[in-house]
Amino acid sequence: MTTPVLAVEGLDVEFPSYGEAPVRALHGLDLSIGEQEIVGLVGESGSGKTTLARAIMQLVPPPGRISQGSVSFEGRDLSKLDEEQLRTLRGRAMSMVIANPRSELNPLLTVGQQIGNILKYHTGCKGRELRERVIEMLKEVRIPDPERRYDAFPHELSGGMAQRVVMAIALICNPRLVISDDATSGLDVTVQAQVLELLKRLAERHRTAMLFITRDIGITAHFCDRVAIIYGGEIMEIATRARFFANPMHPYSVLLLAAFSHNPKLRSYWLKEGEAAAEARPAETGCPFAPRCVRVREHCRSVHPELRELEAGHHVRCHFPVERRA
Amino acid sequence: MTLLDVKNLVQHFPTGRGKAVQAVNGVDFTVDAGETLALVGESGSGKTTIGRCVLGLIQPTGGSILFHGEPMGGRRTLRSPELRGRMQLVFQEPAESLDPRIVVGRTIGEPMAALGASRADREKAVRLAAQRVGLPERLLGSYPAELSMGLQQRVGIARAVVSRPELIVLDEPTSALDPSARAEIIDLLIRLQKELGTAYLFISHDLSTVRYLSHRVAVLYLGSIVEQGPSAELFAAPRHPYSVGLLASVLLPNPELRRESTIRLEGEIPSPIDLPPGCPLEGRCPLAIARCREMPPVETVSPGHTVRCWRHADVAQMEQAVDYFERFQIEAERILTPAPSKQEEQWAN
Ligand SMILES: Nc1ncnc2c1ncn2[C@@H]1O[C@H](COP(=O)(O)OP(=O)(O)O)[C@@H](O)[C@H]1O
Ligand SMILES: Nc1ncnc2c1ncn2[C@@H]1O[C@H](COP(=O)(O)OP(=O)(O)O)[C@@H](O)[C@H]1O
Ligand code: SF4
Ligand SMILES: [Mg+2]
Ligand SMILES: [Mg+2]
Repeated sequence: MTTPVLAVEGLDVEFPSYGEAPVRALHGLDLSIGEQEIVGLVGESGSGKTTLARAIMQLVPPPGRISQGSVSFEGRDLSKLDEEQLRTLRGRAMSMVIANPRSELNPLLTVGQQIGNILKYHTGCKGRELRERVIEMLKEVRIPDPERRYDAFPHELSGGMAQRVVMAIALICNPRLVISDDATSGLDVTVQAQVLELLKRLAERHRTAMLFITRDIGITAHFCDRVAIIYGGEIMEIATRARFFANPMHPYSVLLLAAFSHNPKLRSYWLKEGEAAAEARPAETGCPFAPRCVRVREHCRSVHPELRELEAGHHVRCHFPVERRA
Repeated sequence: MTLLDVKNLVQHFPTGRGKAVQAVNGVDFTVDAGETLALVGESGSGKTTIGRCVLGLIQPTGGSILFHGEPMGGRRTLRSPELRGRMQLVFQEPAESLDPRIVVGRTIGEPMAALGASRADREKAVRLAAQRVGLPERLLGSYPAELSMGLQQRVGIARAVVSRPELIVLDEPTSALDPSARAEIIDLLIRLQKELGTAYLFISHDLSTVRYLSHRVAVLYLGSIVEQGPSAELFAAPRHPYSVGLLASVLLPNPELRRESTIRLEGEIPSPIDLPPGCPLEGRCPLAIARCREMPPVETVSPGHTVRCWRHADVAQMEQAVDYFERFQIEAERILTPAPSKQEEQWAN
């Protein structure tokens, strides 16, 4: 087997909490992403998605820290690299696209300067060549009238356009891995559809692997090669897209899909009655999902379930997975 | 019975230098008692502006809005004495619409207080409304910040139903919620409508929700209704290129189910200043022809289904009549039908 682009193994990330036990944002997280693969990571707010993105980039904000496990990028353990080496990696070999493109862009620099600075920093490219490559990139992300937009400031751009500029910044150095964190959530549906299509085409053309983080499970159904579901800082289920959607096996995955059902009976079967369940925090011992799970049994509350391979390439962390008859 | 009748509604906001934001440009629709009409469209299409006009909160530039046959606007607003309690509003961000310094029980009772209800009547109505929306009574003394977003939205809905209004304008009430909280709110709204017979003007950009909740849909683009019809029909057989583009952009959580269409929208919604006189989609429409620089008329394609496009017959030819939302529901039943775990079966024996 070839070395994956990204291999996260047994990753724990903790945030110290004054006077209390530290918040464990990620727990024993394993995830690998192969060459040119797009992996969708779905989970609700607070499930640890952004923390994972930051941990991969080695940018967990202190006093938070990686307390266990490792992140390897193209076979290199990132914890062994110094800050200088990491800086050359970030933005070049791996880069990030986030939501709120406006806050990401520097309001005082033109579009051309912001994209160009990254390219200059990492490749030393400058002058006419720099300008040409930036304009080429603007064309690639389909910004109309790129020659003119090169000199535009962020406030002169629409939301969709600003998101494309952020994509251009992330892609200009031809990274091996792009992490997209909720990047399309603020966009209108027709704009989102265009941005996603573009992102996919660019990833294909540049042979870039992608970790696509979202709260919208619908996007992953049309956009990703594999789908991973995260809850309470742990991967609950991971499978190829086709398998996942044909046969979701974790009660939490089914719950996420149940939210789209118009059949109140079926839906309420999976969505445990009342807000108390929705408000429940992931459990510290046993299965983190136990407080919200409709299939919970005593066993779940005491024994932490392992991530098991139940079909080829389909891993589920549940003692009592949903098993449909063929 | 027609509760609300909106005719040729126009709302322009002057921006100085003789220009105006043409937020709403001649919109017609009605809402019957007890029914839900959804206004769908992307941001900036004029949904909120229409909602505010309907409630009399802003004075339209032109057209008429009749509630029970009488015009809204001027001194006749949702707060005026004769209409107080008969129309209500629910906002997108529950947190923003609830006063953080007031316990939620009092917030819910505000419409009753405005109606001059006695303290005892008010309390009774608040308890009933809370019960209706599934808000535990012990939470009535809480402040908004102590409640989850889903519960805050229930407070907003309880306040809206406490006076048993005939019409509620819901402006993106589920957009800020997680899918499971959203589903619960949608169920709640459907149940309340059945119990109370309230009509909803449901404003949303979330088509999945709209398909489920509304009897009829009006699709807005740049302040014009480009298509309007019964939900099931419009979702299965959209006739306007924009409706098609919108439906093809919806990503349902099933890889097989997405409207495949040769009609693809490029670019973004332009700013509604200096709109050209023709079809609002003309600049983005893959089917545009020279004639589209003139405004197409509203045509009826089947009972209650109208469309404003020169090429709607071609769209009908090009598009397959499939309701992907309905197909998704059928597939969802298979996935959601409770299947026991083998492990669990073993344990049971
Ligand atoms: N800088 C931080 N300080 C303290 N706790 C944090 C910090 N960042 C994240 N957390 C905690 O880690 C958990 C996961 O958060 P996050 O990764 O932001 O989730 P998501 O991106 O899925 O919404 C949450 O419980 C959050 O409170
Ligand atoms: N008070 C106002 N003054 C000027 N422009 C406004 C005002 N209210 C809304 N608009 C503009 O009118 C258009 C429609 O807005 P809105 O009704 O809020 O749309 P939606 O609710 O569909 O997002 C937008 O271009 C918006 O900027
Ligand atoms: S392990 Fe138990 S509690 Fe957790 S999801 Fe599975 S059945 Fe539910
Ligand atoms: Mg996040
Ligand atoms: Mg609005």
